[in-house]
Amino acid sequence: MAEPFLVAKDLQKYFRDLKAVDGVSFTIEKGEIFGLLGPNGAGKTTTIRILSTVIEPDGGEFTIGGFSTKNNTAQVRSLIGICPQELALYADLTAFDNLVFFGRMANLSSAEARQQAIANLALMGLAERAKKGRVEKFSGGMKRRVNLAIALMGHPQLLFLDEPTVGIDPQSRNNIYETIENLRDNGMTILYTTHYMEEADRLCKRVAIMDGGKIIAMDTPYALKSRIGDPEHTSLEEVFLKLTGRSLRD
Amino acid sequence: MTKSLIIAQKEIKDFFRDTGDLAFALLLPILIFALMYGVFSASTQFNGTAYIVNEDDGGKYATELINNLENSEGITVKLLTAGDAAAKLDRSAIYLAMVIPSGFSDTLAGGKPAQLTFRQRGNGSTEGQIIASIVRGIADNISRNVKVMQNVKADLADWAIPAPQIELVVQDYLNQEKVSPLVAVTETAVGSSPDPVNLYLPGIITMFVLFGVNLTAQSLVDERRKGTLERLIASRLKISELFFGKFLAYVTRGFFQTFILLALSYAVFQMFTPLTFLEASLVALIFATTCATIGIFLGAVCRTTNQAIWIAVFVTMAIVMVSGTFFPIAEGSSLYTVSRFSVNTYANDAFRTIMTQGSSLADIGKEMIILLSVTVVGLIISRFIFRAVRGGK
Repeated sequence: MAEPFLVAKDLQKYFRDLKAVDGVSFTIEKGEIFGLLGPNGAGKTTTIRILSTVIEPDGGEFTIGGFSTKNNTAQVRSLIGICPQELALYADLTAFDNLVFFGRMANLSSAEARQQAIANLALMGLAERAKKGRVEKFSGGMKRRVNLAIALMGHPQLLFLDEPTVGIDPQSRNNIYETIENLRDNGMTILYTTHYMEEADRLCKRVAIMDGGKIIAMDTPYALKSRIGDPEHTSLEEVFLKLTGRSLRD
Repeated sequence: MTKSLIIAQKEIKDFFRDTGDLAFALLLPILIFALMYGVFSASTQFNGTAYIVNEDDGGKYATELINNLENSEGITVKLLTAGDAAAKLDRSAIYLAMVIPSGFSDTLAGGKPAQLTFRQRGNGSTEGQIIASIVRGIADNISRNVKVMQNVKADLADWAIPAPQIELVVQDYLNQEKVSPLVAVTETAVGSSPDPVNLYLPGIITMFVLFGVNLTAQSLVDERRKGTLERLIASRLKISELFFGKFLAYVTRGFFQTFILLALSYAVFQMFTPLTFLEASLVALIFATTCATIGIFLGAVCRTTNQAIWIAVFVTMAIVMVSGTFFPIAEGSSLYTVSRFSVNTYANDAFRTIMTQGSSLADIGKEMIILLSVTVVGLIISRFIFRAVRGGK
């Protein structure tokens, strides 16, 4: 069995009376893509914010690469890369300048940041547009790819991808899938959230389904599908709807 | 420190990269300066309108009073009916109207005290007060002349001199006195005329720096709103490094624009010596640090861009209003006490001390210490209350 890279135990986070994360525990093995699925308001983004050290949990603990935020936040941060749901970039800079800037913030030297920016933009199929025009002029798909390329600055070992393919064209989505698979093949550990079930089915070795701040199911997509029928003829979306219900969420 | 410098460098590059923004930022001080030059170069002679309700139409002394007013330099007379005057006062179209009552001339001619009435809103406005004061002077003259005429006529009553002859002689003496008064008032200029540039430029400079409060607050809120802040924190950036980077960027920007104003003032109005120019520049730099801090504080408090904009506008206006930027505040008044809580007061005082008195930095030590203290304390408080995301550190 591969070594666990991320271990989360009984994570809890409250916003006044709301239990956003309520006793969430899971592990992610090194080199695994782990899917965190759930309807809107399930607690996925809050869980990622806790694990990416942006907010502190009200209860529970976690380690990344063996390091805990309780005594070694800086070490934890050196291991992670984050690709938030929003396009967290500077629209008035070029793609290259964005990557260099975030690289410098991740403690890279100027030369390292430039080198990695060129490599990451090439990986995302943006080499030609790297220095041409501000990001605000890019298409939605290109912006999403820049958003992901930024997360790769500093060579993180664990990547948090929070709905990285929302609202983009099939070509850009495919490029992102290929990049993620390529990263996994090179040993990167990935925590992936998405609303697209086919995406999770294709990319994730295991998925956890969250609802109401809790993990209500966690297994391989195949095993989860087996729970409700023939896995060859059942979709992960059917599993998801069966577990979380069909009522609308805000 | 390195990361703060990189953030500052990025912000400053942004500022210079956007040619539209840059042109605006450069042109604005120049436009304000041009406006100031135009306004302050214009004549400063008083010009006002006297609104009069003449109920003594055709009366000798009412006519004399109005004629004298019309002949006073800078005064235009407008006659109104009582109804018009009341309506205009009611809707604040005018602030003061003088009423010459019916029978005014006859009362005066009969040797009895006559009454003039000023109807005014509030204190009648500065213009109204000046006009009222001029009217009082003219009315005093008329009253004195009538009194003299009546007294002379009474004293000579037994001499069988015809009244018109007495009036002619007395009027001739009064006219002579008017042309060559016994008490002559002369105006001697001491030094240069009171310079409105010296008076108002400090306020314009400090207001200009204060505009940066809005930009700084917005910049910080935008980082949070766009999600870049969350990403920056996860990438090992400390909030204090972010603060310092933003702080450096907006201090530089504020100082850059202020420096243009100071340099233009130096070149066009010759307001400075090389030494006082450097001192004024240092005051501008320190005030820019205070304003950047206020912006960072508001950025830490506000949750949305609109909040940041409106609160920054309110704070800026409040700071300017209570600090006596464009009007003097009497020492000991309640506004004076309030003004002590406005950073603008200290910046204005420091600029005025250097510009009008040519004093040195030693004379504005207290002001500089207060501004620097606000900067340091403000940054510390901002750091404690700032949250990168809801529920975050």
